[in-house]
Amino acid sequence: MPVIEVDHLQKRYGEKVAVDDVSFTVEQGEIFGVLGPNGAGKTTTVECVQGLRRPDGGTVRVFGLDPVRDRTEVRQRVGAQLQESQLPDKVRVREALDLYRSFYRNRADIDELLTDLGLAEQRNTYFQKLSGGQKQRLSVALALVGRPEIAILDELTTGLDPQGRRDTWDLVERIRDRGVTVVLVTHFMEEAQRLCDRIAIIDKGRMVAIDSPAGLLARVGSEHRVHFRPAEPVEDALLLAAPDVTGVSRYGAEVTVTGTKDVLQSVLAVLNGRGTTYTDLRVEQPTLDDAFVALTGRGGRAAAQSPTDGRSS
Amino acid sequence: MSALSKLIAVETKLFLREPVSLFFVFALPIGLMLVFGLPQRAGTAADTGQHAEQTFLPSLALALTIGMLALFTLPMALGIYRERRILRRLATTPVQPALLLVAQVVVNLVMGVLGAVVTSIAVRFLLDQPAPANLPGFVLAFLLGVACLFAVGLLIAALAPSARAAQSIGPALFFPLLFLAGAWLPRDRMPGALAAVADYSPLGATVDTIGAAWAGADPELPQLIALAVTAAVAALGATRFFRWE
Repeated sequence: MPVIEVDHLQKRYGEKVAVDDVSFTVEQGEIFGVLGPNGAGKTTTVECVQGLRRPDGGTVRVFGLDPVRDRTEVRQRVGAQLQESQLPDKVRVREALDLYRSFYRNRADIDELLTDLGLAEQRNTYFQKLSGGQKQRLSVALALVGRPEIAILDELTTGLDPQGRRDTWDLVERIRDRGVTVVLVTHFMEEAQRLCDRIAIIDKGRMVAIDSPAGLLARVGSEHRVHFRPAEPVEDALLLAAPDVTGVSRYGAEVTVTGTKDVLQSVLAVLNGRGTTYTDLRVEQPTLDDAFVALTGRGGRAAAQSPTDGRSS
Repeated sequence: MSALSKLIAVETKLFLREPVSLFFVFALPIGLMLVFGLPQRAGTAADTGQHAEQTFLPSLALALTIGMLALFTLPMALGIYRERRILRRLATTPVQPALLLVAQVVVNLVMGVLGAVVTSIAVRFLLDQPAPANLPGFVLAFLLGVACLFAVGLLIAALAPSARAAQSIGPALFFPLLFLAGAWLPRDRMPGALAAVADYSPLGATVDTIGAAWAGADPELPQLIALAVTAAVAALGATRFFRWE
């Protein structure tokens, strides 16, 4: 059953078209990713879902309701974590939760929530004394304090260190395990690949693709790559003759063999057959990065930059 | 209304945790009065005219209390709330972000009244200033002064592009207003045209009407009207121009 339906959504700011044509549905209980480079229109799209902005064209329905007209009802049931939203410096963690909790008719147990999010020890800490990861977790806690059916998380891991990012990913999975539908907005490919059941890729205000991570990868048929350093020279022809292999390239002493899914077995068979030893063997699987580049036809690095240096709109 | 009462409770705590605003409201007016008032009390002051009026300094202290809350604390707090996207964040909850503005105004008002009471009591004992003789007139003048200055503060909050800007616009407006009120140059020594403007400026009219009632006279009606009109115009402008993000 879809809980969110977005149909030919369009939104302009003056002359600038932020969202041109975006359509998708989000099913109950899934983690749905909205992925795209900075300025692609991701945040505008979810702001229309939250009823913070009125669409210029198309329709948005949340639980079958219009988020602008039925704003109070929709907001009772949708929790939001805003990109770069802060709290006053001197508000204590518990006070903030207690305050936001009073806005909702379904109220979560604060102590349980604090324990769940690893903030139990910080309950009396001022907001300004929290670390980046703790602030982010508090922001998530505020989004969950009204026991929402949908949680919209915008650029959740931007600015976190790698450990903080991984902890946050675990957290998102735990939120889903509570039965909450999660909409995850991100410009970070690895995050979407790891967490999402389905992903909508948005670029320049338009939908490029919508599929599961595996489906997106299969769609672009990205190649697997095997890197190794052979102890003695191996002729290209020998490798190219093996099944599943589509290409061979060299960089210094390192050989890179590209091919389809079973290319590793083929390469190992060739090497073992000749009795050639090797070092530094690595296998690179196709990533969503590759899929993104193939689908949007633009440099993936810009879109998949490290989450510490990006802010998106 | 449990959301509003929670908001007011939290905003009160936040206010009390900020030593600077506490200093503005409860210490600075009394300090200023002592600095300026003690020489006068000792009979060394040779002032005549506005500054010789016994109620001038106490009225100025009250106007200072309100003015600093309205023009410093309030616009800055609202600027920070907008900049940190707290107003935006509230808009995603079932609660209207306007409720936070209401809570802010309520807290600053209560603090203003408390500050005024503390200052009045201090004046009573430190400067031998009797209690306000025309109490209804005093309360009316105080409330209109509060309404006028708070509306101007809200207008600053609405127009300032950032919290930092609000932080500079407040004082940039406050000190000229203080000058017009006669804090440095008594208004009876100002050029006629300037004094005429000063009489109806927010702080000038507040100081005069409070002072008159304190001394037992009736506040001047045109000055009360000037305060009310300024309050209405500034409040309208603030609602018209306020940006939520």
